[in-house]
Amino acid sequence: MKLSIYVVANTPLHRLHPVVKVVGIFCFFVAAFTAGSPIQSLPLAAVVGALLWLGGALANVWRFRWFLALVFFMTFLVWSLFFHSEAPWFAWGPVRLGYDGVRFALATACRLTTFFAVGLLFLSTTRVEEFADALGMIGVPAKLGFVMTLAFRLVPAFVDAALSVVQAQRCRGFDFDRGNWLERVRHYLPVIVPVFIGALRRADLMAMALEARGFQLPGPRTSYRTYAWGWGDAIALVGSVMLAGTWLLWARFAGGN
Amino acid sequence: MYLRGVSFTYAGGALPALRGVDLVVRRGEMVVVMGASRAGKSTLVKVLNRTIPSFQPGSLQGEIWLLGQRCEQETVADFAGRIGLVAQDFEAQLFSTSVECEVAFALEQFGVSPPEMRQRVHAALRSVGLEGFEERDPATLSGGEKQRLAIAAMLALEPELLVLDEPTTDLDPLGKEEVLAVLAGLRREGRTLVVVEHETIAAEMADRVVFLAEGRVLADMPAQAALRSPEWFRCCAVRPPDLAVLAHGLGWAEPVRSVEQAAARVRERLMPVQKDDRAAGQQQGEASGHDVLLVAEKLSLRYEAHAPPALANVSLTIRTGEFLALLGHNGSGKTTLAKCLNGLLRPSDGEVRWKGVPILSIPLAERAVAVGYVFQNPDHQIFADRVWDEVAFGPRNLGLSEQAVAERVRQALGAVGLLERCDDDPFWLTKGERQRLAVASLLALEPQVLILDEPTTGLDYNEQRQTMELICRLHRQGMTVIMITHTAWLVAEYAERVVLLHRGELLFDGPTHELFARDDLMNAARFRVPDIVRLGQRCGVRVRSVEELVRMVGRRSEDR
Repeated sequence: MKLSIYVVANTPLHRLHPVVKVVGIFCFFVAAFTAGSPIQSLPLAAVVGALLWLGGALANVWRFRWFLALVFFMTFLVWSLFFHSEAPWFAWGPVRLGYDGVRFALATACRLTTFFAVGLLFLSTTRVEEFADALGMIGVPAKLGFVMTLAFRLVPAFVDAALSVVQAQRCRGFDFDRGNWLERVRHYLPVIVPVFIGALRRADLMAMALEARGFQLPGPRTSYRTYAWGWGDAIALVGSVMLAGTWLLWARFAGGN
Repeated sequence: MYLRGVSFTYAGGALPALRGVDLVVRRGEMVVVMGASRAGKSTLVKVLNRTIPSFQPGSLQGEIWLLGQRCEQETVADFAGRIGLVAQDFEAQLFSTSVECEVAFALEQFGVSPPEMRQRVHAALRSVGLEGFEERDPATLSGGEKQRLAIAAMLALEPELLVLDEPTTDLDPLGKEEVLAVLAGLRREGRTLVVVEHETIAAEMADRVVFLAEGRVLADMPAQAALRSPEWFRCCAVRPPDLAVLAHGLGWAEPVRSVEQAAARVRERLMPVQKDDRAAGQQQGEASGHDVLLVAEKLSLRYEAHAPPALANVSLTIRTGEFLALLGHNGSGKTTLAKCLNGLLRPSDGEVRWKGVPILSIPLAERAVAVGYVFQNPDHQIFADRVWDEVAFGPRNLGLSEQAVAERVRQALGAVGLLERCDDDPFWLTKGERQRLAVASLLALEPQVLILDEPTTGLDYNEQRQTMELICRLHRQGMTVIMITHTAWLVAEYAERVVLLHRGELLFDGPTHELFARDDLMNAARFRVPDIVRLGQRCGVRVRSVEELVRMVGRRSEDR
């Protein structure tokens, strides 16, 4: 089973300079967070959708469809019910369902889903190594950059281990779906412990492997990957900054909520 | 490289892991180190690349010279690039998202210029046969490819000494073959190699073999001499070469070099073979007449829509009391099939029935009692902080009373010989013990069928024997056993029936000896028939083990 998110392809997005990708994604995050209403979120979502198509990452959207749907609907549900509407249609205890609540809930759900879609776009088109290189180029020390990107390198391995552990415990008659939600959370102890211990063992081995490959050497590092700036990078950079600026201004003058 | 009187005790360890080790490795030599679990092999390897003492605290004594330099305070980094270490666990050594980035990683740390880097990356990939894989994600490679990649990552640094710690242990026959071919290539290039191995095949290409036991060098001898003396292998819990054991058992003074040569000699002693003796060596896996337990009907399964099927139209019937081996190389669908058999996976097409009932309709707890599944990696299930609680977990899930749970735990731990360790923390057990603990925790559920996924991986020969004896005992008591394995001699000696999968399709289902006689299928599976079985085939007798042939020849001599 494929666990990593990166899509091996050579699209214009893949070819962008990693620094442009990091700055660009930051701009998209800013825009996603400033979008205060569905009217502001939807065009942004459309842009992100187009870029996902351009980057050949729609298959990843399909892969994570349940996750994205869960984020959207859970956010929508929780905020519509618990937003303190001024003129509720319906009120029961802390639940106050009203127009402004639903509107805010929809805006927040759009905002969060767009946010995750932006992350997905970045991970689909950027190798972890490029990410580390970009961090290096904007001044983050190489070792720190490696550690910062370590999570992205290891998550697939841990997910794989966790899936295997869940199956192993099921074989011993362990029913994860039994009991109320609190009990269910507790049920994951027999999964967390082996995954955690496995992670520790692995970290130990990995430290040795890194050491044997000269990770601790003090000298300057080179990069196998060479990056050249092109017109595409300039356009992408200006475009992203303008996009972030537009949404900031839009939110400022049109008002969010 | 030169060690004199090297001893090492891990911090907090009661006994030294190495005791006065003397070892010399000259430039261009290949030395194979063999020994039982905990003999000190991995410790020795860590001393050779300075992981000890840089990483592992403890007390290190003795004189260590590496690459002509006396070592006192040197760390791993001081020898990085000059001494390369490839560990057994290839997964933990790979952390990049493409093959070329993985190989380039070390070169980047050394500040090698990009044009030279490119050249060295390609040279390293060429010498391990991974050209054309540059863009691939290491996670998508097979075990053998991953291990070769780990070797390439070291080779790119052009180390003067390359140390490999059990590089073939976790691999299927194809992967083993690939890695051994790489070793042979490195040997031809004249590189200095120290290889820790359990397989005698590695010794065949070495200059010298060093046997370790309890942290001491038991013997250090030319490889050819070592290969003729099975007793040294036995001392170090390594399975000795079949022909050496045979020569020893039959009292031949002259060494035998090939199966053909041995067959010629055995034939003289066996003549004339009577018809009824031909099949004496092997009981047939005739299971007809027994109750049908599991039926898999036209199973197909795809993990991803566009990927080739993991299982394609596989049908299988399993009856009570069978001992079945599931063979095939990595990715052939063995584990997928086994997981379908106990309802862990839902096939895309087809159905598995347990005594006539669809297995997926049976509640989880009842399924666990029907078909137990021991995972390949025991660490994927061990979570309790006491051996006792680990085994009790399953019976408690069944909702048994504490008294009944205690009874089952006692029996299961007794069966695997871990009853005295019931209060220990499983974390501190050896791999072999953890494997047995995993078996015990399934036994406590008293399943009718036990599926074991590579139960002997990572164990030394003695531990493998112990594990197999345990499984055989359970089988004799009536348990039906399905074992996934890559180890040819295990199949030869223990399995009555074999199911061979290849790319998700069932290639063969029948008695073991029939499969072993089919060279076409064995080649497809890259499965090497044990020498003793081939020898038996040449002599027209069915034998499972050297001991059996020695007995047969002895009996024939007495008859005459």
